[in-house]
Amino acid sequence: MSDIILEMSGIIKDFPGVRALDGVDFAARKGEVLALIGENGAGKSTLMKVLSGVWPYPSYEGDIHVRGQLMRFAGTREAERAGIAIIHQELNLIPELTVAENVFLDRQTRGFLGRIDWNQLFSQTTALLERLNIRDFAATDPVKSLTVGKQQVVEIAKALSLSADILIFDEPTSALTDKEVAELFRIIRDLKAEGVAMVYISHKMEELEQICDRVQVLRDGKTIGASDPIADVDMDEIIRRMVGRNIEDMFPRREQSEPGPETLEVKRMSVSHPTIPGAKRVDNVSFSARRGEILGVAGLMGAGRSELMQAIFGAYDGGEAAGEVYLDGEKLAIGSPTDAIAQGIALVTEDRKHMGLVLGQSILMNLTLSALGNLSNRFGVVDAGRERSVALKNVADLRIKIPGLDYLIDTLSGGNQQKVVIAKWLNTAPRVLILDEPTRGIDVGAKVEIYKLMNQLVEDGVTVIMVSSELPEVLGMSDRILVMCEGRKVAELSREEATKEIIMQYASQGELAGEATDEQVSA
Amino acid sequence: MSKFLRDNATMLALIFFGVLLAFTSDVFFTPRNLNNVAQQVTVVGIVAVGMTMVILIAGIDLSVGSLVGLAAIGVTWLMQHDFGVWTAVVLTLINGGIIGYWNGFWIARYRIPAFIITLGMMTIARGLALSISDGSSIPVTNQTFQLIGGEYIPVWPSLILLGVMWLLFLYRTAFDIRQRRRYKLDIHLPEIIISGVMISIGIGLAMWIFGSYKGIPIPVAIFAVVALAGVFTLRSTRFGRRLYAMGGNEEAARLSGINIRVTTAAVYVIVAVLSAIAGVILSSRLNGASPNLGTMLELDVIAAVVIGGTSLTGGIGTVGGTVVGAFLIGVLSNGMSLLDINAFYQLIIKGFIIIVAVLFDVLSKRKK
Repeated sequence: MSDIILEMSGIIKDFPGVRALDGVDFAARKGEVLALIGENGAGKSTLMKVLSGVWPYPSYEGDIHVRGQLMRFAGTREAERAGIAIIHQELNLIPELTVAENVFLDRQTRGFLGRIDWNQLFSQTTALLERLNIRDFAATDPVKSLTVGKQQVVEIAKALSLSADILIFDEPTSALTDKEVAELFRIIRDLKAEGVAMVYISHKMEELEQICDRVQVLRDGKTIGASDPIADVDMDEIIRRMVGRNIEDMFPRREQSEPGPETLEVKRMSVSHPTIPGAKRVDNVSFSARRGEILGVAGLMGAGRSELMQAIFGAYDGGEAAGEVYLDGEKLAIGSPTDAIAQGIALVTEDRKHMGLVLGQSILMNLTLSALGNLSNRFGVVDAGRERSVALKNVADLRIKIPGLDYLIDTLSGGNQQKVVIAKWLNTAPRVLILDEPTRGIDVGAKVEIYKLMNQLVEDGVTVIMVSSELPEVLGMSDRILVMCEGRKVAELSREEATKEIIMQYASQGELAGEATDEQVSA
Repeated sequence: MSKFLRDNATMLALIFFGVLLAFTSDVFFTPRNLNNVAQQVTVVGIVAVGMTMVILIAGIDLSVGSLVGLAAIGVTWLMQHDFGVWTAVVLTLINGGIIGYWNGFWIARYRIPAFIITLGMMTIARGLALSISDGSSIPVTNQTFQLIGGEYIPVWPSLILLGVMWLLFLYRTAFDIRQRRRYKLDIHLPEIIISGVMISIGIGLAMWIFGSYKGIPIPVAIFAVVALAGVFTLRSTRFGRRLYAMGGNEEAARLSGINIRVTTAAVYVIVAVLSAIAGVILSSRLNGASPNLGTMLELDVIAAVVIGGTSLTGGIGTVGGTVVGAFLIGVLSNGMSLLDINAFYQLIIKGFIIIVAVLFDVLSKRKK
């Protein structure tokens, strides 16, 4: 077809010891959004790096055709010139500079003696923002004053300023609120109407249906199936292509036992907003969790779920936290994570790389970091032998795949890193284990193993609280579900009551007009 | 092999320059001269052990040079005012600890950059030393005090001590191998043999140097104790592990239940007390103190730590490396003096060595 603007065929890319891409074929057409989906490690980012010239021509095999012409990029500049732009998952903007400066970073129109023509800079940027129908921020605003969603719009404007007509979105919605996602989708639709070709990388099924025209699955570095129109394939088929097997056993069931006594009880927990005086991230939340159950905590990004858990754990450092925490009926005085750990509470934090692991240190050290108190004598000397045997037991129990205890934690895959974080907390022998987004960014196999582990822990009498943004996970694993919205607890549902629709309705009610809100709060 | 080179670059540089100097200078490789080198390294070395911990948690302490000066003036002033030797020494060390706590308090509690707090303390401590002494030197007459910096452990006990250390090292290695077998860990025999040979040569060298001169100088013995305690602390204690965790990822360390404030403050207390010890040794060796003692010492200390492979961004480093770094600096300045290199050029060369060391650190990290 003549409207094919980008075609990649037979792309193979080897890294020492691994074949990251093993024959990728797909084509993107003008005025169309192609979804590229796959598990983590399927090769999506490597593919994008090949396409954008990060891996230059002779380092891969296969052909890239842009507008029918064979392209062999020697670097990113050449790919840019061919009209290819990538909107990265992590934004690459300079917060202190204005929108316009970021859009035209290092490409400002200059006049006499290299003087930057500020007026032209701002008017060019304003024109771009107008093209995107943006009215809620201006070219002269500093980027740091914008929300993540708006910063992404700036990235899009930047891509357009390069007159790119092939836009690649790499997990664009991973940090956006629903409103921002809607705005992004509007922009994508507008660009589609202009004839821009877009590749949309994501693993969120719901989004694909909303925004994409065709869908192409990538697995183990290969394209699986054809890029079928989204209307012609059902979601189960896509999932089957993604994981290569049926996943009925995705959420392993455990013997439903009678819920035990209440262990953790949280009363009137409030957490102040780190920057806005008077505002609250968590507003007067009370709940309890039982022995022998998994309590799921659902809600949208920014609903205050993580902040609530951090406050319980004594780790919230963005402002004041007030409220009472009881464990087995006893009131706890928790001022720091040290106190919480001593009382038997553990928190597996959401951000593995920044809050969970000490990168650059050994696997051994990361496994035993929180439990050094139990592994050392009263003079603070660590018993190296016992430390190793504990770590080896972790590795065996959780089936962590490691080359050796003394290797850097950085060398492990996401799933195995997550297991290390969980093992670290199990070593503190917690009575209450809080997991914040325990399966974010890890592959399906590792997810299932972590679910099994959670079930095992519950059977062993640990109270498990799981915060998750993935609804299927919340529905599949929880015995009870707490829904939060804008810092408040808006619902508490039993497993039987809960459906995707009901949870979403509660979780997003803050964004609906106020009419239903009041009665639902009291519900 | 390149990994071996990277891990042992400082040691290899030390050996290289040692051999080079042994061939180019008649005086360098004599017990008497090497004894002097060891003596000269002690002051920088003792402080550098503490500085390793500071830099491990991605901090910095610029006040150590002034603290050495203040301690030297403090201890001599106290003795001048009829305090007993040991009372004066203990009070000086306590004072060092208090100043360290002051540094640590602001850094840990209010997150004020360590650079600024210790820069301020650098000026304050120097000012205190100058005002206490009224700007002039204080002589030492007490003979007991002079022993700290000037006495030697007699030859035979010295040799026996070194021999015991060697045996302890062998026992430790055997124990480690046995444990590694038990836990089914990789045993890198070449590495074990190389480090065994190095340590044996080092101890043998020490036996020759101190055995054929007057024995182990007390300051060197103190340095050895401090260094061994530092190695042990970083390697085998909870406290040491916390430093690595904090330097690697402070947020993860905090969420793992490590008390960041207390640990940070403790580190600054340790480096300040070690500076005070260095100040006491220095004033004893010089039979008096001038308020300008230790000026610019912080730079030599930081250089020793960095040359020894500790990363300024935190989380990576060992006391062993620092000791080797301190000796490398000591051997180089000694050698350059013996070869009659102009003192001005010596500064330039030293500067380049520091830059090369940091460059090496940055480049080797990039390769990973």
